[in-house]
Amino acid sequence: MRFDAIVIGGGQAGCEATARLLDASLKVCLISAGLTMEDENTDPWRENRAMAQRGATVLRGDRAVSAVLEAGKVLSVRTVNLDDEPLEAALFILATGKYFSRGLLSDMEHIYEPVFGADVDYIPGRSHWYDQDFSAPQPFLSFGVKTDERGRVLIGGKSIGNLYATGDILARDAAEADWAQIMNDYAGK
Amino acid sequence: MKEFDVIVVGGGITGAATARDCAMRGLSTLLIERSDICDGASGRNHGLLHSGARYAVTDKEGAEECIRENRILRRIASNCVEPTGGLFITLPGDSLEYQENFVRCCRDAGIDAVPISPKEALRLEPAVNPELIGAVKVPDASVDPFRLTDANIIDAMQHGATILKFHTVTGFVRNNGRVCGVRVTKPGVIRSQEIRARMVVLAAGIWTAGLIREAGINIGMLPSKGALVIFGHRVAGMVINRCRKPSNADILVPGDVVSVLGTTSDKVPFEGIDDMRATPEEVDLLLREGVSLVPALSHTRIIRAYAGVRPLVMADSDGDGRSVSRGIVVLDHEQRDGVPGLITITGGKLTTCRLMAEMVTDAVCAKLGVKAVCETALRPLPGSGKAHKDDEEVPYFKRAAIGRHGTEVSRMDFDLGHEIICECEQVTRAEIKYAVKTLGVRNISDLRRHTRIGMGTCQGSFCIKKVAAVLAEELGEPLREKEFIDEYLQERWKGITPVFWGDSLREAEYMQRTHKDEI
Repeated sequence: MRFDAIVIGGGQAGCEATARLLDASLKVCLISAGLTMEDENTDPWRENRAMAQRGATVLRGDRAVSAVLEAGKVLSVRTVNLDDEPLEAALFILATGKYFSRGLLSDMEHIYEPVFGADVDYIPGRSHWYDQDFSAPQPFLSFGVKTDERGRVLIGGKSIGNLYATGDILARDAAEADWAQIMNDYAGK
Repeated sequence: MKEFDVIVVGGGITGAATARDCAMRGLSTLLIERSDICDGASGRNHGLLHSGARYAVTDKEGAEECIRENRILRRIASNCVEPTGGLFITLPGDSLEYQENFVRCCRDAGIDAVPISPKEALRLEPAVNPELIGAVKVPDASVDPFRLTDANIIDAMQHGATILKFHTVTGFVRNNGRVCGVRVTKPGVIRSQEIRARMVVLAAGIWTAGLIREAGINIGMLPSKGALVIFGHRVAGMVINRCRKPSNADILVPGDVVSVLGTTSDKVPFEGIDDMRATPEEVDLLLREGVSLVPALSHTRIIRAYAGVRPLVMADSDGDGRSVSRGIVVLDHEQRDGVPGLITITGGKLTTCRLMAEMVTDAVCAKLGVKAVCETALRPLPGSGKAHKDDEEVPYFKRAAIGRHGTEVSRMDFDLGHEIICECEQVTRAEIKYAVKTLGVRNISDLRRHTRIGMGTCQGSFCIKKVAAVLAEELGEPLREKEFIDEYLQERWKGITPVFWGDSLREAEYMQRTHKDEI
């Protein structure tokens, strides 16, 4: 199945990105696993429904698991529920959040991004991930995906031409692309 | 304060059992604890009621003590003990000859050890490593150390003992070399207070080493740290041990709705004993070993890791500290050091707490010329026994409380207090009221220890604000609500940081985002 753009992650950042892409009259797919930390101001399901009503294809309760890359670009992603149907697009937005929403996974020593294997800015070895004082700033909350100066996601130190990250999944110091830039890149394909 | 017959210093299981025994023998008894009941090593262990099998090969006397006391505690503290039974499994690479010898030694010590086939072991306990080549069934059980200590404290009080919590013993009152009391301070008061007694018993675990120096005496003691990991499920129904020379991470104990894997054993300096933390390295080691015992541990949610300190006592003749004893040690300081009026009880195990109390109380009675005999093995502890008739329908809000407090639920007022405050552990307002009134709970960590509030699946994530509000209300101190929340979160953080990966990391982010205004 082919779209203009695919947004991975249906939380606040993913919905905002979807709305922008719909504003530009793109054919958008939103993959929403539904693992958002809600608060009184946001209701991700309501937002997801609103996106569907505006014409986006919303895969609710689904999760991207792998991607196919070629020549520095993402060609397609696969999800749990549509594992025999690659979802193709010209533009990909990664908005899967941090740990709670499983945008970043971890083992005893490492933190990684599971869909693309994007570069994660963190310190290996979990004793560096926390401060023993609960109320102090916590290093693990500043970890996240690395991007280049234009906000494109880095994999193995190389910029991926059509993959941008937005929201919590970004490392604290990582640059976030502005929308004019993204649409500009998209128009140039 | 009046003069007591005996002052017991230390509110862990040893002190509590000693206070109970002294009070039951008619001595006027005061127990002094610097913090809350069970705040030291008694609250930071495996919760294992040893059958003695673990010691059968290396320490026959210790094994015999364990099996005797195991049987007694099942009888007198039925609400604290869960008769899970235990397995000693032999894995490929371990020696089946060791197992044969192990069974022989168990039987010599009077422990009912029954070798069973690997197939039978897997039928009894499907969680064990299916590659096992041998198994032995033993009468291990799970015991709740908090409840057991509380039961001893309550019984001591019912026999007239006075319990003084949050008071620190800073020194001894001396008269011609004789110890005739202690000096204590309480928080916020600079001046110390003297309390006199005919005998002083030190039952303060590793903290005895510092106290005894105030009397000019030296006991060779070493702090030995043991780290443990709590898993969020009852992975196994039985206690699972490795059948080999005792080593790291070779016991998994089910308790309530969780399982506890331990332990390590490392000598540590005295400086750190007040703030023991399990380290990531210890957790790695525990998991590596634990997974070979029970493979499911590799993908079971870890709730927290913690550590306690065992007091290792060096034999008096031994200068270099190589020969340490984990057996029961009663030191009569009149005989040993020429300081009358002072006795130390240390060593031993949670399982043998009653016996330790009996031995030291015998010594106290001999000094005081009291003839009363020990009855602690004969009389049930408060809470023990049947809490309801067989045909009685027990309302849902009472069931968990009965599991925890047994017959003590008759002292809880459910008419106005059946609202459930902690959902995971089903703790009601009535139980919180009881904990405040009867157990003298003063803060949220006390409440956790005495009711299991916040110890369940959600670890307080969803209920802690409610719990803090209710506790503040019941204490009549509404301004302390925020303090309670902060205290709880900090304690939770201490337990989650050593296991800071995977789902624990997800929880950590959730905690940070829900309980902090800004991150």
